[in-house]
Amino acid sequence: MSDHRVLGDNPFEPAPPAEPAAPAPPAAEQPPEPSKKVRSKPRAQPAAKARRPVPDIETEPLGAEAAPHPAADHPPPPEYGRTLDHEVRQEAARRGLVDEFRLVERWVRERIQPEPPAGERRRLPLEFLWRRWRDIAMRDRSDFVDEFGRDPMYAARVEPLIRFIYEKYFRVELEGCEHIPHVGRGLIVANHSGTVPYDGAMIMYAVRKEHGSHREVRPLVEDFVFHFPYLGTFINRIGGVRACQENAERLLLQDQLVAVFPEGIKGIGKLYRERYQLQRFGRGGFIKLALRTDSPIIPAAVVGAEEIHPMLTKVSWLAKSVGIPYIPITPTFPWLGPRGLVPRPTKWYLRFGEPLPFNTEYGARGAEDRILVNRLSEQVRSRIQEMVDERLSRRRSVLFG
Amino acid sequence: MARRKKSSTQPSARSFDPGERVVAVTGAYSFVGGELIKRLEEDRRYYKVLAIDIRKPAFPLTKTQFHKVDLTLPTADAELSGILKREGVETFVHAAFLSAPTHNATWAHEFESIGTVHVLNACGEAKIRKFILWSSTVVYGAAPLNPNFLTEDAELRGHPRSRFINDKAEAERETARFAKENRDTTVTVLRTAPILGPRIRNYVTRFFARPACPTLMGYDPLMQFVHEDDAIDAFKLASDEDFAGAFNIVGDGVLPYSTILAMMGKVPLPVPHFVAYPLAQALWATQVFDSPPNFLDFLRYLCVADGSRAREVMGFRPHHDIKSAILDFLGVAAERHDLASEEGRA
Repeated sequence: MSDHRVLGDNPFEPAPPAEPAAPAPPAAEQPPEPSKKVRSKPRAQPAAKARRPVPDIETEPLGAEAAPHPAADHPPPPEYGRTLDHEVRQEAARRGLVDEFRLVERWVRERIQPEPPAGERRRLPLEFLWRRWRDIAMRDRSDFVDEFGRDPMYAARVEPLIRFIYEKYFRVELEGCEHIPHVGRGLIVANHSGTVPYDGAMIMYAVRKEHGSHREVRPLVEDFVFHFPYLGTFINRIGGVRACQENAERLLLQDQLVAVFPEGIKGIGKLYRERYQLQRFGRGGFIKLALRTDSPIIPAAVVGAEEIHPMLTKVSWLAKSVGIPYIPITPTFPWLGPRGLVPRPTKWYLRFGEPLPFNTEYGARGAEDRILVNRLSEQVRSRIQEMVDERLSRRRSVLFG
Repeated sequence: MARRKKSSTQPSARSFDPGERVVAVTGAYSFVGGELIKRLEEDRRYYKVLAIDIRKPAFPLTKTQFHKVDLTLPTADAELSGILKREGVETFVHAAFLSAPTHNATWAHEFESIGTVHVLNACGEAKIRKFILWSSTVVYGAAPLNPNFLTEDAELRGHPRSRFINDKAEAERETARFAKENRDTTVTVLRTAPILGPRIRNYVTRFFARPACPTLMGYDPLMQFVHEDDAIDAFKLASDEDFAGAFNIVGDGVLPYSTILAMMGKVPLPVPHFVAYPLAQALWATQVFDSPPNFLDFLRYLCVADGSRAREVMGFRPHHDIKSAILDFLGVAAERHDLASEEGRA
C-alpha cells in the first residue's frame, strides 16, 4: 500500500510526509520493537514477542502505540529545503539505532524500486510473454511480402538448401545465360518433368545467382501443386505463382521474368520410357500471353531432370480420393515410403536459347489468330526439343554427365 | 491525387454557398453508415442528410434527420419512396448490411436481399440521381481457381452454402439490374475488402479478438484488409463525385495468414481441413463459434481483389497499408485490454 513512501506516511494519518513525526515518548520507556530484519536484537525476549504480534513493517507506522499527537488535526506548515537525508538523519537520531536501520531499509527499497512515472502506459498482464511469443513467431518471416506472396526473409532462409541442391546434388551446368535480358519482361519456356518440380526452383536459382543482373524469375506453378498442402505454400513463399492467364499477364506487365512449363501436368507425369519427348504444349496460351504483353520468348532446355524419378507407371484410381492426379510408381516409391521420394542425383544441364521475337514479328493482333498461335507453339516446342536432343547426344552418363 | 485535391478545394471556392445536396444513408446506426454521416455533416456542400435505420445514431445530429424505416417490412419501399420524394434526395447510400453472419438466416435474407430490393424500388420510384451500394470482396468467394488479384469484372461466385455472402451477391445482382433499367441514375458499387480498424466491430475483428485462431494445416493464403478510415474515405469520395460502376476498395499490400497471426501475437491452432469443416459446422450449429464453416474457405484459398480501378478512376488512395491497419487494430486492442483490466480492478 504505502510501499514506496518514506517513513511516517500512513494513509490514515492526516499529517503530510514532510512533517516530522509526532514526538515519541522517551526512548527509555519504550521497549525496543522486535524486527525480523535486524539480527542484533530479536533473540532477546521471546516471551515479549509472543505477547505482542510483530508489527508489519509495510503498514504499521512506527510508534503506532504512542498516543496521537494533540496537534495532528492541525499540521504545522511544511518546512521547505529539507532533503530526505536530513529527514532520515533527524528521525534516526530521535528514534535510536533500530529505527535507523528501518529507515535506511525503506530508503534503499525506494531507490531500487521506484514508483512508475505518471502517464506511462501500464503493461498488460503477461505482456512480456506475449511480446516474446510475437518475436518467436516472426523470426523467420518478414512483415512484408510482395503482391504474389514471395517472402524475402523466408526465401533467404531456404536459399542454402536450394544452393546445395543446385551446386552439390544436381551439379547444374548453365549455358546461354546471356540470352536473358537485363531489363524488361521475358517469358522463359522450358520442358517440364520429374514428378516433383525441381526444375522451376533450379531455373529461379540459376538466374538469380549466375545472371549479371541477378534477376528474379517467377515460375508459374500448376494448380494441383499450388494447392497441395505445405508444398504449395512453400513454393509460393519462395516465389512461385499459380499458373493462370491473369497472374502471368500482371507479372509481365510489371516487366518481370516469368518461367512457364507449357507441358504442365502431362510433363510432370511423363513415364520413364517417354523421357525427353516433349508433350503437347497446352493450347498455346503462352504464345497468346507473349503476343498480348509484347514479351520475347526465351526457350530453355533442362536435361537431367527427367531421370530423377524414373516413373514406371502411375495409379490414378486411388489418387483422385487424395486429391492428386496420380500416384507415381517408381523403383523406390512407394516401397521405401517417404525416403523413396529422394531424387536420383543426376547431372543436370540447363540451357537458355536465343530469344524468339514473335512479339515484334506478329504483334498483339496475332493472339487472335488460332492457327498462327498453334503454329508458333509447335515451333517453340520443336526448338526446345532440338536443344534437348543436342545436349543429350553429347551426354555420356546420366549420373556423371 | 489531383482529383482529391480538387474535391478539397471545391468547398472553399464557394464557401458561402449553403450547398443544396441532400443525401440519404441507410444503416445509419452501423459503423459505415454512421461514420459516413459524420463526414457528410462536416461538409458544407451537403445541405441535409437523412439517416435511415431502425435505431437513431448515437452521436449528435445537426443537419441530419432521422427516419425510422424497417427494411424487412413489406411496406418499406412505399414508405421510403415517400420520404425520398418529400425531401428531394439526390444521392442514396445503401449501407444497411450485416457486419457479421447471424444464425437467423431468414431474417438476414429478408433484411439484406429483400431489403435491397425495397430500397431499389423506392429509388427507382423517386428518380434518384445517384445510388451507392456497400458490398464486399467476399462476394467473389474464395476458390482454388481465383487469380491472385480479382478485378471488378470477375464473376460474383459467392459461396454455395453461405447465406451471409450470397445475400450480398444477390443484392449486387439486383443493383446491376437496377442500373440496367435506370440509365439516368449513376450506380456505384463499392466492394470493400474485410474492414479492419480500432473502432469497427465485424466478423474480422471478432475473429482476431481471440488469443488463438484456427489454421488449416498446410494452407496459408494471402489476405488483404482495408482500414476503416480508408473505407469511409471511399464512400465520401463516391458521394462527392460521380463514378459509375463497381470498384474494389482495398488497402495496399497482402500478407499470408500465418504472418498476420504472428504479427498479432495469436497462437495458431492447426487443424487438418477434413476435420476442420465438420468441427466448425458443429461449433456453429451449437453457437459456440460465431463464423459459419464455409468461412474456412477463406483460410484455405485466395480471395484478394485488385484495387487499381478505384485508384485510377476514383483517385482513391488508402492511407493505411495492411501492416499499419493491423498495427492500428492491434495497438488499440491492447489499450482496450488494458482499460478493461483497469476497470476490473477498480
